[in-house]
Amino acid sequence: MPVQPQSRRRSLVAIPAYNEAATIRDVVTRVRAYLSDCDLLVVNDGSFDDTAARLVGTDVIVAGHLCNLGYGRAIQTAVHYAERAGYDRLITLDADGQHDPAQVRALLAEFDSGRWDVLIGSRYAVTRRYGGVPLGRRLGMQLFSILVGMMAGRRIYDTTSGLRVIARQAFGPLTEWHFIDFHAEALVYLMRLGYRVGEFPITVEERRHGQSMYSMASLFKYPSKTFLMVLLGVVQAKLTERRRRGR
Amino acid sequence: MTPAGVLVGTAIGIVLLMWVVTLIWHDRLYVGYGVIFVFGTVVAMAVLIVPRLLRLVTAASAALLPVPALSLVALVILVFLMVYVFTQITILSNRVMRLTQELAIRNASPQTTVEQHAVDPRIQNSEF
Repeated sequence: MPVQPQSRRRSLVAIPAYNEAATIRDVVTRVRAYLSDCDLLVVNDGSFDDTAARLVGTDVIVAGHLCNLGYGRAIQTAVHYAERAGYDRLITLDADGQHDPAQVRALLAEFDSGRWDVLIGSRYAVTRRYGGVPLGRRLGMQLFSILVGMMAGRRIYDTTSGLRVIARQAFGPLTEWHFIDFHAEALVYLMRLGYRVGEFPITVEERRHGQSMYSMASLFKYPSKTFLMVLLGVVQAKLTERRRRGR
Repeated sequence: MTPAGVLVGTAIGIVLLMWVVTLIWHDRLYVGYGVIFVFGTVVAMAVLIVPRLLRLVTAASAALLPVPALSLVALVILVFLMVYVFTQITILSNRVMRLTQELAIRNASPQTTVEQHAVDPRIQNSEF
């Protein structure tokens, strides 16, 4: 069922939010200030704090999950929404205030060069080192960066960045195949299908409120799940390619 | 364990692995459950195939002999049954997820003065 777009704007900024009452209003205000030519969607992923109440009066579009589905599903909801409402590009950023909307302008300028189908705002594109990152996360980031390089032929240094610009042509594959968090597994799948995925350097601020979605348990479960989905994604991409050529 | 036992055990492990991976591929088994079965099966197969590991596990479990044949059959049935149960949970969970997403998309609206309520914490999920 098509969704009626809220305006004639062609870009949608989507912010997945789960219990981000402390920062969401400020993030929305800053996005409004720097990206006034974009529509703004907040996917409230079943927050049980005051996130929903903080959005009243902001005039942003809110898609509220009745229960918490997780980050990956919140992004998927945003992709579905953008696809049905006919937006040309989707910009995702985190609700914790770590991403500076002012930097999105430069990211969009690079994206508009037409060289990319997905452009990632990358914290490590320039340094290519993970200095200052806790050991567990650093190992995970290196592992997945290398894995993406091995499976897709090109390394992506920041596979877990929440700041991304996605072109309309990539909406289809992102809704047809199933992902966990739209990280390495999604990037490998898109790259194997021939989509152009790139990185653009950004800086992020320290998280001031709330908790990271990665806990100690994530050190084991996240890599194992992502690794398996990367492998399955490679096979699926190959089958999809074969089906396309057969038509 | 006899060579025939190792062969049968390995064959069961391969069938289980293929089934689990196919289910994950078709989004009928949540990958978080799937990796547990994959990991468990690979470890069990390694124990079966490497005699030293089998002896070590047997000694560690304080048993003088490997488990009786009937217990092993029961264990295999139980594992397959668990995969089936988790598959049903995943299918149901996927349906709820799609419904939740569809409702969110259809009801998406600009927040002007509409009062929004927080979700009751009791209906939160606990993702693996």
